[in-house]
Amino acid sequence: MRIRVTILLYFFLLQTYVLAQSKVSGRVLDQKGITLPGVNIFIKGTYDGATSDQSGYYSFETTEIGDQILVFKLMGFKTQELALNPLLNSQDLAPVRLIEEITEMNAVTISAGSMEASDEKKAVILRPLDIVTTPSAMGDIMGAFQTLPGTSTVGNDGRLFVRGGDASEVGIYIDGMRVGNAYGTTAGNVPTRTRFNPNLFKGTFFSTGGYSAEYGQALSSALALNTKDLSLRSQGDLSLMSVGGGYSHTLANEKYSLTVSANVFDLTPYQEIVKQDFDWERAPFSYDFELSGQQKLKKGGLLKVLARTETGGMQLWQPIPGSDERGILINLKNSYSYAQTNWRKAFENGWALFGGISYSHNFDDVTYDSLQLERRNDLIHLKGTAIKDFSDRISTKTGIEYFTHSYEETLIRADLSRDFEEKEIYFFSEWDWYLSRKFVLRGGLRGGASKLAEEEWLDPRISLAFKLSEFGQFSLAGGKFHQLPVDNFRVLNRNLGNSESNHLILNYLYQKEGITFRAEAFYKSYDDLVTFESYPQNPINLKNLGFGFAKGFDLFLRDRETIKNTDYWITYSFVDSERKFNQFTSRVQPDFAPRHNFSVVAKHFIVNMKSQIGASFSFNDGYTYTDPNSTGEMNSKTKSFQSLSISWSYLPRPNLIIHLAVSNAFGRDNVFGYSYATKPNEAGVYESIPQGQVAPRFLFLGVFLTLSKDKNANQLNNL
Amino acid sequence: MKKYLLTLALGLMWITFANATDPAYVKAIQNQIDGMKTIKSAEESQAVSNGFLRISEANTSEWLPIYYAALTQTTAAFRFDVNKDQYFDQALELVKKADQVAPGNSEIAALNGYILMGKISLDPANRGQSLSPEAMQLFGKAISLDRENPRAVTLMSQMELGMAQFFGQGPEKACGMARMGLELFEKEEVKVDESYILPTWGKMNAEQVAGACK
Repeated sequence: MRIRVTILLYFFLLQTYVLAQSKVSGRVLDQKGITLPGVNIFIKGTYDGATSDQSGYYSFETTEIGDQILVFKLMGFKTQELALNPLLNSQDLAPVRLIEEITEMNAVTISAGSMEASDEKKAVILRPLDIVTTPSAMGDIMGAFQTLPGTSTVGNDGRLFVRGGDASEVGIYIDGMRVGNAYGTTAGNVPTRTRFNPNLFKGTFFSTGGYSAEYGQALSSALALNTKDLSLRSQGDLSLMSVGGGYSHTLANEKYSLTVSANVFDLTPYQEIVKQDFDWERAPFSYDFELSGQQKLKKGGLLKVLARTETGGMQLWQPIPGSDERGILINLKNSYSYAQTNWRKAFENGWALFGGISYSHNFDDVTYDSLQLERRNDLIHLKGTAIKDFSDRISTKTGIEYFTHSYEETLIRADLSRDFEEKEIYFFSEWDWYLSRKFVLRGGLRGGASKLAEEEWLDPRISLAFKLSEFGQFSLAGGKFHQLPVDNFRVLNRNLGNSESNHLILNYLYQKEGITFRAEAFYKSYDDLVTFESYPQNPINLKNLGFGFAKGFDLFLRDRETIKNTDYWITYSFVDSERKFNQFTSRVQPDFAPRHNFSVVAKHFIVNMKSQIGASFSFNDGYTYTDPNSTGEMNSKTKSFQSLSISWSYLPRPNLIIHLAVSNAFGRDNVFGYSYATKPNEAGVYESIPQGQVAPRFLFLGVFLTLSKDKNANQLNNL
Repeated sequence: MKKYLLTLALGLMWITFANATDPAYVKAIQNQIDGMKTIKSAEESQAVSNGFLRISEANTSEWLPIYYAALTQTTAAFRFDVNKDQYFDQALELVKKADQVAPGNSEIAALNGYILMGKISLDPANRGQSLSPEAMQLFGKAISLDRENPRAVTLMSQMELGMAQFFGQGPEKACGMARMGLELFEKEEVKVDESYILPTWGKMNAEQVAGACK
């Protein structure tokens, strides 16, 4: 009997089960009550569900019964669940509001002072490829950055000068690790280049001020270069250039990749063909060897290694003002090594860890007439960082850094030597707080201590960004920055302390498909700059007594959209800077801070010629200098600087590129300053020699061939 | 106790195997595949894609529904006036998930490359250099995982044709691959019956490339 009842009941229930058709309906909105179409609504664990329509309404039928969970899912929004206890026959639900997830893609980013160049981030100003195809850059990273807002071109130096700051005020990092002596050693007004090849990097982050607490010891700017991840294929790259040649070989599989390259540069053959304005005894030459490796570790870790060693030199005669003789012979020999390794890993629980160590070693042997000077510089940097996303609204980046740094200079013949040993420790913590998708606040603190200067300091930094419209945003950044003086000053006075700068930056950024417009105004104060007596060649009585300011604005427009196959950008930077520093007894406009800086870069691809042609033009209103024939300091200004560079890249075959570039095509006789005789001549006049360019023009011709199983591979990144 | 464990184990095994032959699952997939064929707007595409995602939510160990959701998103990005980059990015995210469910699957690798082709097409000057080798590598991987996969061969022929056109070279290599793709499609068609739910798309792409060879 009992069994029969059970069976009866069973069939009865089964009937109900089959027949029960519940109707579920409702509406989905976002936080503001705007309808959300495309939301996936379904009963958990079943196929029953629907998609919300253009008005946010949904409705579907289900045969499920009892307690159920209704899920609301849409990419970019937090998934919501609604318990139906139990599911009714006709379930008309109240509107559900989904909360938008704040992601890197949709959230506002802090743009004050910063310019990113990478393939991934949305705040892209220059892509890595743009850097190498900028005609005036001649393949040098800094050459390309000199076409960006906030920078000035100093043609007889070659380094990066940002907003009235000198070149030492730019801190250079590779994968977050400091690079010592990032520029090649040079002498006698020969412009230098970055030691590192742009094709090592997948992206760059360039800040013109107000930058993250992760970086320090740079009063003006931080330049972070990020190396490439795993290479995708094995290949060999052969390059033959008017200035040398090289070969690079890459081995790659899915787990690791390794690239080894060797290059020789020697300007001797070039200088024999093209007349030079400088009196060369031995043209610049260098040999380098480089190794980079990447390995994917288990569970998402990535290990990178980069090592480079190079040696080179040059010899030239430097004329003396007021003398007809050949002048003074400068003989420079340099050897340099850089090695670093870093590891990073993102964990599923929102933590990401980074650890790295880098070592830079530089050795210079400079003979200036009868004076022989050796300089030795070693820098070790250790760093550990932890990033934690507490939610999509709050995240932190916290880390600790340790530096050891030694410097020694020796006058060989006089057997005189001086040196210093430095140890520094830093702690930084930075917090991002998204109040909404449109508003972000960032607060950071960086603390440091120097053993040599016996000093401890704290740098608070704050920035915020506010999205005004779909394409436009405002951003504000401010903070305190400290930097210890350059090595050749510290070695003379070990008690020299930090120089200090405060930044305030207001930024407006408009970004639309293919078009970027950026306007930025800034104010920067300088305190405790190094001052000394006597000449820069022989400073005495060094003290932290200097001060100054820099203020101005810059404008940037980039357009890849309006003209077909054409990409151009226009930059104007205005800098008003004065400082009391070095030997100057009053506040002066430094020679590295021209007031008006303008540049245009344009590139056009001609499909049926398989060619890209490019042109870049740079202008500034001239460099200040002191003319001892009249009174005062920095009392004169050179004529304006102008240079037009053009380039042509031709791709006859997928694996072959021919690249031709000419800098200063019109051969304008640019002058960067004057050197004066130390004593007046018989007529009572200090005679002078203009500091000009190495040659009116520089010509570059290169042939790049890629050997790979994949016949379409080429070395476009090497241009 | 032993017996209980055995039952549990068998029960679990049954659950795991169930989906492959589960008629409800096959039916649901087939319904959505039918839906795919009649898509005429981005909204309809979203509805179908969501349908696949619902199946994947209920069958977390199956790669096919996520794969189809990604394919639907990709096709919509190619066909309709939508935020194409966003659609491709979502498709990429789905493909990544599918790859986690079934690592080393030829179809997933091929689709991944196809989405990258879409990303390249939006900004060839800037993306071509970094994404083309990645796409080619994925097609190569897809072919080595399954030499009979007509989509892998076809998509690679499409890439080859594009590059040959760009560099003004002959399309011979691309044509050969497209013909091979067409042969593989014929082989595949033999296997297709009423309960066949694996990918079959792509023949038109192969015909297009082959058409350029005449």
